[in-house]
Amino acid sequence: MTSSNEEIDRVIARHDGRPGALLSMLEELQQAHPDKYLPVETLDYLAERTDLPRARIFSVATFYALFNLKPQGEHTVCICRGTACHTRGSRDLLERTKLQLGLKEEDEEGSADKLSVTTADRQFTVRTVACFGQCALAPVVEVDHAILGHVSERTLDREINTLKRGGRA
Amino acid sequence: MTRIADLSTFNTVHEDGLAKLLPPRPRIAVGMGTCGTGHGAEGVFHAFSAEIGNRGLGISLARTGCFGICAEEPLVNVWIPGKPLVILRKVQPHDAGAILDAITSGAVPFDLALCRIEEWDHITAHIKYGTGFEEIPLWSDVPFFKGQKKIVLRHCGLISPGDIEEYIAVGGYQALYKVLIDGNPVGVIEQIKGSKLRGRGGAGYQTGIKWEFLRAAQAEQKYLICNADEGDPGAYMNRNEIEGDPHSLLEGMIIGGYVTGATEGIIYIRAEYPLAVHRLQSAIQQARDYGLLGQNILGRGFDFHVSLVEGAGAFVCGEETALIRSLEGKAGRPAPRPPYPAEKGLYGKPTNINNVETWYNIAPIIIKGASWFTDTGSPRSSGTKVFSLVGKVNSTGLVEMPLGTPLKTFVYAIGGGAPNGKSVKAVQTGGPSGGCIPQEMLDTPVDYESLAALGSIMGSGGMVVMDEDNCMVDVARYFIEFTHSESCGKCVPCRVGLDKSLALLNRFTRGAATVQDLAMLDELSRMIRDTSLCGLGQTAPNPVLTTMRHFRHEFEDHIRAHRCRAGVCQDLALSPCENSCPLHMNIPRFLELYKEDKIEEAFLSVVLDNPLPASTGRVCQHPCENRCRRVGIDEAVNMREVHRYIADAIYASNRYPALIEQVRARMLPPTGKRVAVVGAGPTGLACAYYLALLGHETTVYDGNAEAGGMLRYVLPDYRLPKEVLRKELELIEAIGVKFVFNTQVGRDLSLNEIDAAYDAVFLSIGTWKEAWVYLPGTELRGVIPALPFLESVAKNEPVALGKTVAVIGGGNAAIDSARTALRLGSGVTIIYRRERKDMPAIPEETEAAEAEGAEMVFLAAPHRIIGNAAGGVQAVEVVRTTLGEFDSSGRRRPVPTGEVIRFECDTVILAVGETVDLDFVKASGLKIKEAGTIEVDRYTLETSRDKFYAGGDVISGASNVSNAMGYGKKAARKIDDRLMGAHRFGQLLPEFDYDKSPPSCPSGSGRHRVSELPALERVKTFAEAVAGLSPVEAMEEACRCLRCDARNGDN
Repeated sequence: MTSSNEEIDRVIARHDGRPGALLSMLEELQQAHPDKYLPVETLDYLAERTDLPRARIFSVATFYALFNLKPQGEHTVCICRGTACHTRGSRDLLERTKLQLGLKEEDEEGSADKLSVTTADRQFTVRTVACFGQCALAPVVEVDHAILGHVSERTLDREINTLKRGGRA
Repeated sequence: MTRIADLSTFNTVHEDGLAKLLPPRPRIAVGMGTCGTGHGAEGVFHAFSAEIGNRGLGISLARTGCFGICAEEPLVNVWIPGKPLVILRKVQPHDAGAILDAITSGAVPFDLALCRIEEWDHITAHIKYGTGFEEIPLWSDVPFFKGQKKIVLRHCGLISPGDIEEYIAVGGYQALYKVLIDGNPVGVIEQIKGSKLRGRGGAGYQTGIKWEFLRAAQAEQKYLICNADEGDPGAYMNRNEIEGDPHSLLEGMIIGGYVTGATEGIIYIRAEYPLAVHRLQSAIQQARDYGLLGQNILGRGFDFHVSLVEGAGAFVCGEETALIRSLEGKAGRPAPRPPYPAEKGLYGKPTNINNVETWYNIAPIIIKGASWFTDTGSPRSSGTKVFSLVGKVNSTGLVEMPLGTPLKTFVYAIGGGAPNGKSVKAVQTGGPSGGCIPQEMLDTPVDYESLAALGSIMGSGGMVVMDEDNCMVDVARYFIEFTHSESCGKCVPCRVGLDKSLALLNRFTRGAATVQDLAMLDELSRMIRDTSLCGLGQTAPNPVLTTMRHFRHEFEDHIRAHRCRAGVCQDLALSPCENSCPLHMNIPRFLELYKEDKIEEAFLSVVLDNPLPASTGRVCQHPCENRCRRVGIDEAVNMREVHRYIADAIYASNRYPALIEQVRARMLPPTGKRVAVVGAGPTGLACAYYLALLGHETTVYDGNAEAGGMLRYVLPDYRLPKEVLRKELELIEAIGVKFVFNTQVGRDLSLNEIDAAYDAVFLSIGTWKEAWVYLPGTELRGVIPALPFLESVAKNEPVALGKTVAVIGGGNAAIDSARTALRLGSGVTIIYRRERKDMPAIPEETEAAEAEGAEMVFLAAPHRIIGNAAGGVQAVEVVRTTLGEFDSSGRRRPVPTGEVIRFECDTVILAVGETVDLDFVKASGLKIKEAGTIEVDRYTLETSRDKFYAGGDVISGASNVSNAMGYGKKAARKIDDRLMGAHRFGQLLPEFDYDKSPPSCPSGSGRHRVSELPALERVKTFAEAVAGLSPVEAMEEACRCLRCDARNGDN
């Protein structure tokens, strides 16, 4: 499924020519997509209509952490890897969550940075973020856009199990 | 809504705003920054809203930003006309009713009150709230706020960020009005230059000079950019500033536009800050509506437009040239400078970029003048800076302090030190571009130059506190992992260099690194720093370089000892408990073996890891519990008591002799090497035990008549019955360790004689000398040092103890002395110069002493001991102390007051610390450290004399039994390595057969505590005061283990 071309046209009309236009357009298009990502077709159409080279659009879409080129899971668990969260054990939370959702380490080195993996059933996407700026609540996890502070392995387990059972966090 | 075009409309809006801020009725304002809503402020707001509506109350309700003390959120401000503004803390929705009840009767709930504000200096205005409620502390008396000077945060948490009229009510847009009326842009730039305001994004370039460049640039179009891409992990000042007070940013930018000739302003803000984006959007709209932004601002013919662009999660976009690329719709890769943005910036036009916080300082400088601004801060770093104080610190939040404030003020006075009584290890400033400053250097003033001198930077204001549980190698690795993933990839040093740095650091955290790797990492870091294109690469090595500079020993521990003391690098430890145990006992293994009903194997596992399991099971300080992961569920597993139980059960059974045989069966064949151990305390016993197991002929010398050292001669019977120790010694004797008692090495036998007779010598003579405080009156009869007192009691010798005893000190020897004196029938007062929480004694012991009737006097330093006519003790006088500055141990230094208190007593026991017997050490010809301990190589325990090793208290200073035994065990391993030229220690352990998978579901049982005899009963005798666990309790404790040793859940 892709965003309709009319929708893309509307987004272009709103931003073209303004500073930061390309970023803003991509952000809006991704947000508008039900699976919160940018399908290749969308990028192609955007390139055609804005007269920007495809390479440029792909360069931007792959450069910034916010853009997803793959469909996202129904639920998003976003674990903050900021310094305050790191000092208060966010790596263990990340490991624990991956274990709980059956997600494996893809590559050996430095794989904890900028992670975004989705379960095979597309129920969950686990991501990391550089910092939510919620450092006083460290460690912080965002579950479906709700910020949870002072998270322990136990509270996170509970959240995820609730979502697994179809409830809301 | 009014479009402001002249002074009278401006004043009208000002009055309207004041009427909202200080209405003729009570006002409640809920702190609804992201930190507030993250703590449930939304619910609190709705509860107030519903309740006010239901009751039909005449009370205003507003939303504000955060007042900075994020740890106490949700914060609610309550103002009743004529009264001070009261800030309530940790307000929950269910509190709304009670708060409204109080307000309607003209009061506030004191139990929720954090502080009161009688008047507030908004810098651009002064608000008088009122007086009263003196029971509530003034805001400036709350430790977190003490010394804070809110210039940038002048409005945050007090006005409604969503209402421009409230901003105008506190003097907002007055500076803009003044600048436009004066019509003297050059004068404004001179003023900013005169204020010496420096960029608050981190680099610290003077703002006035940057503005001058932009003004001088000739172009049709110039741009002003606000960098709100706050990407430093661990920093969130800008988020709060914008959420709490968006208009101050806009006002600063509009003024900047006017004086530099720019007509376009762009705020580049992180998409991760949705609330800040929202608040800014509505602030921009309001400013336009009121004629403060857009065309013909304030009717003065000046146009300025501001637009918002959301960043998309790229740290490098904080770098100005990358940010400009991003605004141009490109990937955010930096460009070389020159040309600087002031010449060729956005779309090739002259551009000025300032950090959010820089803009917040503009209006105050214009209203109050440059010299007012330079009055605050240090000569080269004027003004204040907002820091986000986070990490391992009790009070987290945003702190605005004058530049030049020492780091320790932040960490201790404001932050209240590390949580759970842990000690602070370092403070990280400046995020991934900054560095780690060690605890010993926390006197450093926080300003641009001082931090740079230590290899760090001020940066945007992140201040992350690290404690003893943080590994500095891991911290370095963490930051490189971050910059490695954020590197844009344009230049080789940064792209490839950081990749190689990360690979090297991974070798350290896995224990695979070598000394060459350390040198390589250092060289590589310097290369990246010196040759990268932009600020990201140039500063990325800072965290590595500073940790290598200030925490080199931690890198060395990872290389040479394959140990991560903090227990963070998991590949270097079996489990957190094993890592914390000085003997490195395989705790999960004995718990599991016992759980599987294999108590004999469990005992074997225990006793091959620790030859004195029943003794340590009683008196160890159990560091294993500090990092137990079970704490995340309920409480730590009571590991110490389980091995005590296992050992006690075996000693009490008839299986002990057979198990001794099994230990003997593990012994390696005789090597023909002879080793002498000097001192039969826990250190020497542990060393001798393992040396004998390794096949060496081992002889232990001791000046006493029996083995055990302090376990035998100092620890009172009620803590460790002598027969328990005796039972454990049977094993050590059975494997062939020889003891030569009543022989003091250095007196009865010279070191040279020993040297000639043995292949290696291990010195573990402990700290038997009582430190002495030189007070008037210590020469009196009745003043006795703690150790000789405890020793006499342990030897059943008569001691002359009076009826009332004063014990001076707060360590274990003080508590042991007090509890012993109580058992001898005396009344006891313990006098300690610091607070209870600073006492080095085991807390359970202190509590037990108190329960048994000891009086405790804290914050009292001994002054003099007064004698009677007979030359005995009459009384002790102490000086009351108060708590002063934080010392290097992170405790507040006791400062004597003039108040003297007198305690009548006839005996004074001095327990102020133990030291090494320097006479022996000096005679030994070994190198001695300044602290009076023997100098050894940290990794091999070799002394300055060949063949001589040392360990235990004699190298560390007075410590505890498990630390002591840890040294003994390590020394045996190192001596064996040297004598045999091979690593053979691992051969001592058999294969144990036990389940190596974690429990599928953790046992629901809570922690079992040991039971103490009732205080009044136990104080009558020296019988053991604490009974062990029952078999069922021990089993349940074993089942509570989460098995951190089982790494992958699926094996």
